Amino acid sequence: MEPAEIAALLRLEMALDLRQRAAWAGMLLYVVSAVYVCYLAVKGGLGLATWNALFWIILLFAAFNALTRSFQREDAGRQLYLYTLVDPRSVILARAIYNGGVMVVLSLLSLLVYTLLLGTDVLVEADLGQFVLAVVLGGIGFASVLTLISAIAARAGNGIGLMAILGFPLVLPLLLTVMRASKLALDGVAWSVTSTYFGGLVLLDVITVALAWILFPYLWRD
Amino acid sequence: MRNWWKFLGIGLLLFASIAGLLIPLAPALVHVSPDRIAPGPVDVTVTGYNTAFGGDVKVRLVNEGQAVCASSVAVLDGTHLTARFDVPVGFKANLTDLEVNGLVYQGALFTEGLGTGIAAQTCPEQTMPAKAFVFPNRSILYESIRNLHFHVPMWFTMIVLMGISVFQSIKVLGSNSLDRDRAAEMAVRIGLVFCVLGLITGALWARATWGAFWTNDVKLNGAAVTGLIYVAYLVLRGSVQDAHKRARLAAIYNIFAFVLLVLFLFVVPRLNAIDSLHPGNGGNSGFSDLDLDDRLRVIFYPAVLGWILLGTWMYDLRVRAARLETAMDR
Amino acid sequence: MRTLLSFFLLLTTVVANAQNAAPSWLENTLYGNGKINVVVAVIAVIILGIGFWLWRMDRRISGLEKDQRQKQR
Repeated sequence: MEPAEIAALLRLEMALDLRQRAAWAGMLLYVVSAVYVCYLAVKGGLGLATWNALFWIILLFAAFNALTRSFQREDAGRQLYLYTLVDPRSVILARAIYNGGVMVVLSLLSLLVYTLLLGTDVLVEADLGQFVLAVVLGGIGFASVLTLISAIAARAGNGIGLMAILGFPLVLPLLLTVMRASKLALDGVAWSVTSTYFGGLVLLDVITVALAWILFPYLWRD
Repeated sequence: MRNWWKFLGIGLLLFASIAGLLIPLAPALVHVSPDRIAPGPVDVTVTGYNTAFGGDVKVRLVNEGQAVCASSVAVLDGTHLTARFDVPVGFKANLTDLEVNGLVYQGALFTEGLGTGIAAQTCPEQTMPAKAFVFPNRSILYESIRNLHFHVPMWFTMIVLMGISVFQSIKVLGSNSLDRDRAAEMAVRIGLVFCVLGLITGALWARATWGAFWTNDVKLNGAAVTGLIYVAYLVLRGSVQDAHKRARLAAIYNIFAFVLLVLFLFVVPRLNAIDSLHPGNGGNSGFSDLDLDDRLRVIFYPAVLGWILLGTWMYDLRVRAARLETAMDR
Repeated sequence: MRTLLSFFLLLTTVVANAQNAAPSWLENTLYGNGKINVVVAVIAVIILGIGFWLWRMDRRISGLEKDQRQKQR
């Protein structure tokens, strides 16, 4: 495992992913249509807590939607080929980093669409910097938990259904923490209070990535 | 003597169950009638719980540190007495406490005729009853505090069984042993039995204490997530055919899930340290703030150890049966 | 002797409570100050749960015994 190897794998990921324009379009369409359905369902008038909860639910399902593909798209042949070339730990790290990036982009896009359609009334008091930080950390956290789960589900050979069953209870701790943090950010609470939550989120992210790094090699070889 | 721990477990359970049921609750005052007083003479009937009224009983009213002594006391039986007071004008606070021999019923009487204070009275010294070995008497729990020895050990046992399962799973990754894999699965299955028991008993206790079977509480969410995780673990096992592949996938998921679960159960509640009804969380004090908590602990720790040993015994039986089943199929 | 007697007393109170139970026994325990019924219910659930587990274990071992007999034949 070395930085150059990870960088090469990252470039490979990006090249492969950008080739799949349809997948990206699908993700964007999912976010837009989910937000639009919410907009039609609630017609404005959302309280702060509901606004926050709805946003994170949309983001949660967007994450499942986007990250299920992470290990599904490659066939056994390509896996065997990668296996002979690189350290599995580089693979999981590269993929976690890449998925984290995808989730950050996707989260910020969702936030944009969400505020455009559902209004910015609740953001009056908000500390925007904190809120965006919560969104970014939450996105990275989803990515780091779901990357390993996606690998397990792909290995089990039963993709999307299993992914939801396995991933949902594991994402909950993160989801509850990040929802609380972003709620406090919307209330405009001072950094001195929210910094514990952000510290907790970073800790959760680091621990999940470390676990994935330790466990993935066992998953990799058959 | 290989089986000493099984005897130890049953002995501890026997001790904890009998002691947990038989040790009486601390005496307390639970009811007064009438529940409001106005200036003038009034007869207040007091109902006690596990009290032994009799002989020389001293009763007084206390309002903001100012006391009024009972002019006469008639003991009806061990748990009922009637006290006559001459209520003066000028109590400061809305609520008056009532004291019987050192037992305090706080805010017992709604008070009329408020003023700026009354002439001080010195009541005879109240004789405190000798301290016996009793459980604390808490206002919304009362007798149900005994459930501490039956409901809470379920969760301890579950966590220990899941810990055994993770230990076996780590061994699976090192050795690819199918026997270890079976042990990990069985530990999860027995752990889920205790999870279900903990959920049902918790729901009953919550209904009687907080008025609802389910509340949005950190501990309850933790229990629900634990159940979901391990049901998902069994679903994952069910969806893989190849035994060795199943062993490895299940072990990886088990380790990953257990670490996140420990974080969820023990770290996240510290972050969101508000809105829990459970003792020791949020604004609620644990049982340990009670002066008699050591008396609960003397029973509680043996109960926990006893249930853990029983759970381990069940796990042992289940693994041996499963091992025989595989041997027979061959 | 006294503990035995109090155990007996406890049993009779439990039985008496059970007999007094109106249809809404949970409501009664909610507002009554005794609340011993909750403890009784909790212990009953635990015993039933462990009993159910034992029963399934029994079935499992019966199956094993049957296989064993068939093998020996």
